[in-house]
Amino acid sequence: MKKIFGLAVLSVLLLALAVPAVAEDTIKIAAMEPLSGSFKDIGERYLDGVVYAAKVINENGGLLGKKVEVIPVDSELKPDVATRKAQNLILRDNVKFFCGGTGSSVGAAMEQLAERQNAIMISYGMAAASMTGEKCSKNFFRTCGNTDQQSYALAALVAKKGYKRVAIIAQDYSFGQEALAAFKRRLAKLNPSAEIVAELYHPAGTKDFAPYVSQLIAAKPDAIFTPNWGNDLTLLLKQGRPMGMKQVVLSYYINDEFTIQAMGDDSLMIGNMGAEVYTLSIPTDKNKEFVAKFYKDKGYYPTWLRGKSFMSTMFWAEAVKKAGTTDIPAVIKAWEGLTYDGPAGLWTMRACDHQAQVPFWYTEIVKENPFFKHAFEASAGMVPAEDVSVPCAETGCKMKK
Amino acid sequence: MIAKKNRPYLFIAFLFALGAVMPVLLRQYHLNMLTEIIVFALYAVSYNLLLGYAGLLSFGHAMFFGMGAFTVAVSLIHIPGLSLWGAIGLAIAMTTVVGFVTGGLLLRHKGAYFALLTLAFNSLFCAVATKWHTVTGGDDGLSVTRPDLSLGFTTINMAGLTSFYYFTLVIIGAAIVFCWYFTQTAMGQTVLMMRENEERMKFLGYNTNISRLILFTFTGAVAGLAGAFYTLHFQFCSQSAISVDMTTTVLLMTFVGGTGTFWGPMMGALVYVVLQNYLSDITDRWPLFMGLIFVFMVLFIPGGLTQIIQYVRNLFSGRNGTDKSLAVKEGSS
Repeated sequence: MKKIFGLAVLSVLLLALAVPAVAEDTIKIAAMEPLSGSFKDIGERYLDGVVYAAKVINENGGLLGKKVEVIPVDSELKPDVATRKAQNLILRDNVKFFCGGTGSSVGAAMEQLAERQNAIMISYGMAAASMTGEKCSKNFFRTCGNTDQQSYALAALVAKKGYKRVAIIAQDYSFGQEALAAFKRRLAKLNPSAEIVAELYHPAGTKDFAPYVSQLIAAKPDAIFTPNWGNDLTLLLKQGRPMGMKQVVLSYYINDEFTIQAMGDDSLMIGNMGAEVYTLSIPTDKNKEFVAKFYKDKGYYPTWLRGKSFMSTMFWAEAVKKAGTTDIPAVIKAWEGLTYDGPAGLWTMRACDHQAQVPFWYTEIVKENPFFKHAFEASAGMVPAEDVSVPCAETGCKMKK
Repeated sequence: MIAKKNRPYLFIAFLFALGAVMPVLLRQYHLNMLTEIIVFALYAVSYNLLLGYAGLLSFGHAMFFGMGAFTVAVSLIHIPGLSLWGAIGLAIAMTTVVGFVTGGLLLRHKGAYFALLTLAFNSLFCAVATKWHTVTGGDDGLSVTRPDLSLGFTTINMAGLTSFYYFTLVIIGAAIVFCWYFTQTAMGQTVLMMRENEERMKFLGYNTNISRLILFTFTGAVAGLAGAFYTLHFQFCSQSAISVDMTTTVLLMTFVGGTGTFWGPMMGALVYVVLQNYLSDITDRWPLFMGLIFVFMVLFIPGGLTQIIQYVRNLFSGRNGTDKSLAVKEGSS
């Protein structure tokens, strides 16, 4: 009796699993972003861009006659959580397209999953070069720059400005080291006379920058390069400026409006420079039109993260349109070599490693800007795509077709 | 009338038969979930052997689970041509060693000291997994591909869900049955009696320390097997497999299912995985609701789902509210 009852309960629970879900005829793209926890603001802004792109596509007649549906997925910035949720979406809702911008760990795990499950993963922000390098996969596309490209762009900027003495400070982990290595490699090529006067590593999450700042000042550089982000950037500037670190800081993520707001003091930021694949202040007509329309629709600006994920999604839609189907091998084939002429210039998806070849936009932080009351980007200048390109042979990618 | 003695075996045979037809009844998505449930059921069962049977509250069970998970991932990546059996065998061997060594250190203490020490050891293992980037992949984790299953006379492709589901059902199912069998042996009964009255056992001439160490090592190896299948199932392993969160997960499963019976934690694993899947679809705050359920269960239904089921069954059979003490182990369940 007891066993039979237990069995009945078990069977009912198992059958409850089998309730079918209602399927709609849409093209689904899942955005894997941290939508909770301390990187929530980044994930939400990326997601915003994807959703906006879907809206624009749907307003213009949809994709292959169908609506594009964005499925927000909270990756919790954990690769195991992201892949598990993605796996469920593949099995249950037949989702074939995934995108994301936060956390190269999530990206690398998603890349493997996409290859196994015959899906496509698109990164518009996960920057670790290895994902289109030695780990590259035909099912993975990157529609933003990687650490190599971004460092190359900043090295180009340093060479252009003619800085002779450069100091470098970076977080002591793979990202910081990769960014630094690429920067040094490129600068040595572009301007062999430029000298690296200091090269400092600090643990990620350092609270006291005083010892590093005094070393930086003692080296008497013309400019300081750092790939630091988050608190490590804010604290470096907050503690460094009052100590007399007056040099221009060239950083990966200087154009983040949240960082500038968190700084609370514009004078710490003015004069610093950064380079990204998208900045609000790109002076092309296409970008002005995009920014104006976005602002009209939403009431705020498509700052870098939103712009990046927007363009990435539009680029993906172009590829699907060209393929004429959502069949994965067809989309992969269609996307290779495809160009997209968006707000940030001409993007080309390179076939050899699926790394988009994109121009970078450098910008200086100034007091007067048309976007915010606080200091923000001045009109951006372009580093052409070919100047930041890493040749196919040097990426380490051996793509299995 | 079937002999009472044979009932559990019939029950087990029925469960296997039910499991065997599931791929026909369920769609891929649910089959995937069921595989996960089976893996976690073994993990919960191994934990309950410690908590429910031996009365040892451990906050470090994830170190075995994670150790098994990482052993499979690392060995599949670094040993070319390693078979599925080899990887699983290595995982069990590794967790047995870890269980024996840590058990030898940890079991010197009892009660709260034991609980806190296991927590400390778990954190230690987790820290190593996070920081030892070259081997464990750190925060990035490790992606693996399931190798084919070699059966001697034939090779089965394990890439598909269904074939892996059957493999899991057979191996994990057998492991669960073995755990149940273990509780029926003299050794298993010794553990029970030790929980009830250790002093008396000592006077009777049993070496309780050795018995406890054997149990600890055994549950560690079983959790390691579950961890090995966790990696094989997700084809991915990261530090969250060995983190304290994973211990909390098994604690939740065991409490929700009920520690009083052998089958309770399996029910807990089922409810946990199903709830997690549905809740996380509805809200990003799903851990909050899980927490609330946990608090509710501990406060009002300390016997877990098993207690509810027993209560309902008593209602049906007309014996209103004859609440049998759950602490008393029944021979067959």
